[in-house]
Amino acid sequence: MSDKTQAIFTGDRCLSCTSCMANCPVMAAIKDYRGPKLVGPAHGRMHFSQEDVEATLEFCSNCKSCDRACPSGVAVSTLNMLKRAEFYKTHPHTQAEDMIAHGERAGKMVRKIPFGATFANIGMSIGKALNIFDKLGLAGERNMPAYASDPFKEFFPRIKQTAADKKVVLFTGCYINDNEPHVGEAFVKVMNANGYEVLIDKEFNCCGSPLVVTGYLDEAKQHADNNAARILEWKKKNIPVVTPCTSCSLMLKEEYHELFGEEKFHEAAQNVFDAFEFLEILQERGEFNDNLKPINQKFLYHVPCHLKSQAIGLPAANILEEAGAKVQTADAGCCGISGNYGFRKDKYEISMKIGAKLFERVKKKDFDKVISDCGTCRMQIHHGSGIKPCHPIEILAAAYG
Amino acid sequence: MKISDVIVIGGGLAGFMAAAAAADNGQKVSLLTYGSGSLPLASGAIDILNSKAPDEAIKLVLENHPYKKIGLKNIDAAAKFFVDVTNKSDLHYVGRLSAQIPIVTAVGTLKYSCLVPESMDATNLADKKKIFVVEIKGLKDFYAAMIADNLKKYFPEKIFETAKLDLNLLGGRDITCMDAAQILTGNEQILADGLKTLNATEDDAIIIPPILGLEGNSSRAAVKSQLRAQIFETTCLPPSPPGIRLQRAFIKFLQSAGVRIFENSKVVRGVVEGKKVTGVVVENSVREKIFRAKKFILATGGFYSGGIVMREFDNPIEPIFDLPVFYPSGAEKWSNKNLFSDKPQNFSMTGIFTDENLNPIDGDGKVLFENLHVVGANLGGVDKIFERSAGGISIASAYKGAIL
Repeated sequence: MSDKTQAIFTGDRCLSCTSCMANCPVMAAIKDYRGPKLVGPAHGRMHFSQEDVEATLEFCSNCKSCDRACPSGVAVSTLNMLKRAEFYKTHPHTQAEDMIAHGERAGKMVRKIPFGATFANIGMSIGKALNIFDKLGLAGERNMPAYASDPFKEFFPRIKQTAADKKVVLFTGCYINDNEPHVGEAFVKVMNANGYEVLIDKEFNCCGSPLVVTGYLDEAKQHADNNAARILEWKKKNIPVVTPCTSCSLMLKEEYHELFGEEKFHEAAQNVFDAFEFLEILQERGEFNDNLKPINQKFLYHVPCHLKSQAIGLPAANILEEAGAKVQTADAGCCGISGNYGFRKDKYEISMKIGAKLFERVKKKDFDKVISDCGTCRMQIHHGSGIKPCHPIEILAAAYG
Repeated sequence: MKISDVIVIGGGLAGFMAAAAAADNGQKVSLLTYGSGSLPLASGAIDILNSKAPDEAIKLVLENHPYKKIGLKNIDAAAKFFVDVTNKSDLHYVGRLSAQIPIVTAVGTLKYSCLVPESMDATNLADKKKIFVVEIKGLKDFYAAMIADNLKKYFPEKIFETAKLDLNLLGGRDITCMDAAQILTGNEQILADGLKTLNATEDDAIIIPPILGLEGNSSRAAVKSQLRAQIFETTCLPPSPPGIRLQRAFIKFLQSAGVRIFENSKVVRGVVEGKKVTGVVVENSVREKIFRAKKFILATGGFYSGGIVMREFDNPIEPIFDLPVFYPSGAEKWSNKNLFSDKPQNFSMTGIFTDENLNPIDGDGKVLFENLHVVGANLGGVDKIFERSAGGISIASAYKGAIL
């Protein structure tokens, strides 16, 4: 791979065919956004001139539907994110933006206080009740994701594992670490069942996705440098880094290089796997443990945008189907939340409008459970339909008994 | 390991059609796409051959023409299947092989095509007394006066009237037909009310840009039922609602038939054993993944879609299976300098040759892969744009390749 995939070199491939416009969920939801073609490659040809600010840049949610629609390989959404970073060089961030970009920092702070998670969760419900979030510029309609009493990295050492020669490092991501550690637990169980011991690396940072979409590119670069260096260390030891979070894996595998263009990001990326991608590779090699209880359930599968972008097929669906499950893809497009986008007060309505088709599909309830690999997609589905989805790895873990 | 019955490579008209026909035939189908295909940019009309009687003209095509390999029976069956697919998704198409139907273009000329969206079928325009051409405030690239002026050349005896409606579309950005169609979905009343002010009678026609929704027929039905005059949509510049409707109709059909669609999946090469293809390799940003199937359909398009590429002159290649590509050799034969002349462009004949099973063949006519079928714009031997057969070759070859 050469620097062909660095986003800034892809803008000139744009033929102005408008495929991205026809597939942009934000354009479909509102008239204000000028759309990926004009904001990304067209405006990008202005070469990031400081005075030349595109007023509707803020509307891009970085869902990457445009990138997938593009027949010419233009990294449209990443061009938008690079320009967003330019914008914030001369414009201050709001307090709300600072908050939603730094979930990792908040998580760490909370853990320093005894019973911090409990207090923080109470604080968030009070904050919601007092309409404080709304005043800050956050979507008051939403619950902020509640903190788990113990972050995954803290109780991980208490999980009983048998030592094994084969090892993987779990990149938890912030959401699994702080909010849904049971997903991490399920991952450990599945990997153990397949003869792998799971390690964690406390030196990893947040992948940087919330920073990139909020215009904190320099900070994101620090995270990228640190994470890539750690991944390369593990690569030297032949230990793959695996993550059940599809936005983390997309960031580590693809977006670092698209954004920053350094070869080390490609080298590190080769050692990173989505959890089910990894399991499917085991299956192809005949190394997958298929000693599972039959899964006699029917699932509605919301495939996250950031999984679609990875071009790895639908490994979770394949593996669950081979274990007897019926998996129906939701085929209802983007859920609308797109990371922290839907947490912004001024983007809440757009985010709910984008997700409406998916909520309607979920409310049909012609299945036993909704599954989705992405934490924020799961939050959005729960918020929009009242039905709580789970990560497919939880289903698989349960089937190992 | 998952093995599909059929893998279709390509998410344009031919790829969708092949996936639909194979799935309808009870096959387990995976569709690999890279980019959203050209349907959102297309008029929605399917040209089969530019002739007063396309079915008769098809019988006369030369030996190397894809239609010769496909056969009239399959072309006819493909056209019928196409109409069935769209109908099942509540998008109504009309047409047949024995004649072409006029539609009004965005500049007010008439274009003739075999299969057209019912909303564009301008056959009855000739019987109308008065023709209203309606533009929408803020909608770009649609000029009622120009359309009326040009249509007068076809219908000099008719009365034309132009009007401009304010549908409250403005705000934020330049409004395209796609935007208008999106905004009017579920809000059709504002358009119906606006059109009612024209006081058009049942003897009249109302010509509007293609803004009657982005899915199926429901927006059109909501407006049509309130008007006495017949309403006609034109074609438009991309993004094109009639093309988007067609794309969505296919996707809806494929989803309900259980076809798995894999986006962003660029196939870089085949995995072959002798004359058999056993898999295709998808390259993502870090590694490769093999998708396996019993049968493969190559619907990657021609020059415009990367199905055929030419990095050096006189050396066009098919990048996935490295199939032989036939082309007019020599710079002097390559192109016709008069772009809008009545002669074809030779370079457009570049493409892959097949036998009657649509299996790719080499220069001696020998089949290269027995379970690989080449369909759509990457078929060589004819200038499809010049003879206006691109849509027909796509749907008919895809249909035959899928049901074989």
